[in-house]
Amino acid sequence: MAAYPDFLVTVPTQGDGRDPLRRDRGEWQPGARRPLPPFVTDLRPGASSAFDHLAQVGRAAEIAAIGGAFVPFDSAGEESLVVAAGLLRQSRHLRVVAGFHPGIATPVYAAKFSASLQRFTGNRLGWQLDVDLDPAVARSQGDFLPGADRYARAEEFLTVAKGVWHEEGYTYEGRFYQVLAGGFQSPNSGLPFPRVYLTGTSPEALALSARHADVHLFTADQDVETGIGELAAQSAQEGRPVEYGLRLPVLARDDDEEAWAEARRLWDLAGGVGEGLPDPDPRTRLWGGFGRIAGPGASGLVGSYETVAAGLRGYLGQGVTTFVLESRPHIEETYRLGERLLPLFAKEIEHVH
Amino acid sequence: MSIDIYWRIGTHGDQQSLRRRVSSRGEWAPVVPGSITPGVRNGRRDGYSYVEHMADVARASESSGFVGGLLPSFPFTDDPWAAAAVLARETTSYRFMIAYQPGFLHPVQAARMSASLQRATGGRVVYNIISGGGGPAQLWWGDRVDHDDRYARTSEFLDVLKGVWSGGPFDYQGRFYQVEGAGLPEPLARQPFPEIYFSGSSKAAIEAAGRHADYYLSWLEPFPALAAKFAQVREHSTALGRAPKFAVRIDVLARETEQAAWDEIRRGWAHVDPAALRSADGDSVGWLRSQSFVSWPVRDHRELEVSPNVWGGFHLLRGGPAFGLVGSYQQVAERLDELIGLGVDAFILAGVPHLEEAYRVGEEVLPLLRGHDIRQHSPLPPVSVTKGSI
Ligand SMILES: Cc1cc2nc3c(=O)[nH]c(=O)nc-3n(C[C@H](O)[C@H](O)[C@H](O)COP(=O)(O)O)c2cc1C
Repeated sequence: MAAYPDFLVTVPTQGDGRDPLRRDRGEWQPGARRPLPPFVTDLRPGASSAFDHLAQVGRAAEIAAIGGAFVPFDSAGEESLVVAAGLLRQSRHLRVVAGFHPGIATPVYAAKFSASLQRFTGNRLGWQLDVDLDPAVARSQGDFLPGADRYARAEEFLTVAKGVWHEEGYTYEGRFYQVLAGGFQSPNSGLPFPRVYLTGTSPEALALSARHADVHLFTADQDVETGIGELAAQSAQEGRPVEYGLRLPVLARDDDEEAWAEARRLWDLAGGVGEGLPDPDPRTRLWGGFGRIAGPGASGLVGSYETVAAGLRGYLGQGVTTFVLESRPHIEETYRLGERLLPLFAKEIEHVH
Repeated sequence: MSIDIYWRIGTHGDQQSLRRRVSSRGEWAPVVPGSITPGVRNGRRDGYSYVEHMADVARASESSGFVGGLLPSFPFTDDPWAAAAVLARETTSYRFMIAYQPGFLHPVQAARMSASLQRATGGRVVYNIISGGGGPAQLWWGDRVDHDDRYARTSEFLDVLKGVWSGGPFDYQGRFYQVEGAGLPEPLARQPFPEIYFSGSSKAAIEAAGRHADYYLSWLEPFPALAAKFAQVREHSTALGRAPKFAVRIDVLARETEQAAWDEIRRGWAHVDPAALRSADGDSVGWLRSQSFVSWPVRDHRELEVSPNVWGGFHLLRGGPAFGLVGSYQQVAERLDELIGLGVDAFILAGVPHLEEAYRVGEEVLPLLRGHDIRQHSPLPPVSVTKGSI
C-alpha cells in the first residue's frame, strides 16, 4: 500500500465518556449523565438521541481527516451495520468498517445489504468478519457452530458473498450455503466488494485470510512479527496480496510526562488507586495497563506524539500498514490524533492549495 | 429564577489549546496535514470549510448542557447570520446568539432575516446587540459614526425593528432611519421577538441598554467592578421602568485541580512576549476598563490574578477579552455561584479549544453549581472603580 499508513479510529458501541468507567455520552448508562442543577436551563431532554453522539464521533473522524472508522461487532452494544450506515451517510470521505459475524445472515443477504450501502455511500464500506466469537456470545446470537467449522463456514460465506456479487447466474452448493442461479443485477452489480478485514492467529484464521482478507488485523498482545511471516508465506502461495493491520489503544500527549500523568489518572479512576502503574515493555514500548482502562487484554502505546509515532513506525517496519487506533473520549481524542499524531506521517508538511 | 448558560462558538477558527497561539481549525491558517476544516487527505484539501467544525462545536454545546452559543462578528470572522442560517437545521435546541452592529444592516432587513430564522429554528434566535469599538475596525466596515451616536443609532434601530416586527403599517422618522408603511408580512409576523443581550460599558451604552436590554451583557471584570456596573445599569433602567437581567461573558480554564489549571496557563504564558502587549486603538470604554484593573507591565502570569481564580491575561493567549476564570472545577463553579449571587442570570462561557472544552465544562463544572443557595446572601457591596470608570 501507500507509504502513508491507513489510520482508522474505533467507534464506541456502548457509549462514551471522559473517564474509563463513564458512559454518560450516548445514553448507555441511564442516569450516568450528571444532571444540571434545577435552576440552570436544560434544553436537552427529548432534544437528542443516542445516535447523535455516534454521529458526532463519525464526524470528528471525518473532519480530522482520519482514513476510516471501525465499528466492532459487540453483542452487548449498538448494531454495527446500522451504525456504519449512519456514519457513511454523514460523511464524504470516511471509510467505515463494520464488524459482524457470519451467523447474522445468509451471505447473499449480507452482500445484498452491502451492495445498497456501497451505492448509497460511494463504495466506502468495509467488512470485518468476526469468526472466532466467544462460544457463549455466539450461542446468545443463535449460533452453535463450534471450533474449526466456523472457519469453514466463514470461507463459504465469503466465497458465496463474492460469488453473487461478481457473477450473474451464480450457483453454489456447499456444506453451509446453497445458491441457485443467483447473482446481482444492475444497478447492484459491478460495484467494488467491501474491503474484507479478518483477524486471528490460529492456522485456520491465517489460511482464511490468505484466501479472502484484504487486510489482516492483529492486536498488540499477539506475536505480530511471526503472524505476518506466516501469513505472507501463505498469501504468496495463494497468489494474492494481503495487507497487515493492527488494533492499538493509544494515549498521546505533548510530552511523555504528560501522557504518563494521564495514564496514571485513568489507571486510578479505573480502580488502580494504590497499585503501581505497570511498566511498558522495554523492547516494544507496549503498555499492558490498557487492559484495565480500555478493555481486557488490550495493550498499546503511551507517550508524546513523537514517542507514539516511533512505536507505530516500528510496526510499519514489520509490514503493518493499517492502524486501527482506539482512544477515549472518542471525539476529543480523534481530533488529537488527526491534528497531532497523523501529521507526523505525512511525507512533508507542505502548504496545500 | 432560571440561569441560561451559553457557550461561545468561534467564528474565526480555533486553536488546539492555549499553550500555543496557533490556529489549526478553519481557513485562517495555512492548510497543512493536521489542519481541521479544511483538512488534508492524500495531499489535497478535503473540501470542507470551517462551518463543519462550527457544527461540531454547536452540537457538542447542545449535548453537554448549554442552551446555545454566542456567535461573534468582526472584520476577520465569518458572518454570524450566515452561520446561524446554515446551522439552524443541524441542531435542535441550540439558540443562536447573533452578535451584530445595528448600523450595518437596515432594521427592516434585520427584522425579515430574524423572522425567517425564527421560522427555520423554531424560535431559537437571540441577539447580542453590539455598537462597535471604533478605530480602524469601525472604518473597515464603512462606519464613520462616532461612539455616542452609534448608541443613538442602535436605539433607533431597535425601535424600528420592534416597530415592524408584529406587522404594519409602521411609520418612523428618525435621525438615522425613516420608514413608511413598513411591517413584516403575515407569516413572518407571528414569531417570538428575539431576546436582546446588550453590550457596552460606556454611559451611552448603559443608557441605551436601559431602554432595550433584556439582558445587560458584560465581559467579566473583577467582581466589585462588575457589581458597580450592574448597579448603574439597574439605576438607569429603573428610571425608565425597566428591569433588565444580567449576563457575563467569561472564559474558563477549569481542570481537576487548581494546579493543573495554572500549569496550562503557564505553558501558554511561556510564549507570550510581554513587550508586545499593545493597547487598543479604538474608543471602547469597556476595553479601557478591563485594562485598568491590572498594572502593566507584568512579569509573571500570576500577577494578573486580581482575586482568587479571576485572571486578566486571556487576551494574551487567544484573541478576545482579557478576563476569565482559572481554577479547579470546584473553584470555577464557586466563582460562577458568586456571580449568580451578584445578580447574574445568564453566562456566556468559553474555552479553548471550544469543542473539547464544551464537553469538559458541561460535564465537570456546570453540575457543581449551587447558585440558588447563594442568591440568598447579600451581594458584594458596590465598589467605586478608579481608572476608566463610567
Ligand atoms: C460580551 C461582548 C461581546 C462583544 N462582541 C463583539 C463582537 O462580536 N463584535 C464587535 O465588533 N464587538 C463586540 N463587542 C464590543 C462592542 O462592540 C463594544 O466595542 C464594546 O462593548 C465597548 O463598548 P463601550 O465603548 O460602550 O464600552 C462585544 C462586547 C461585549 C461586552
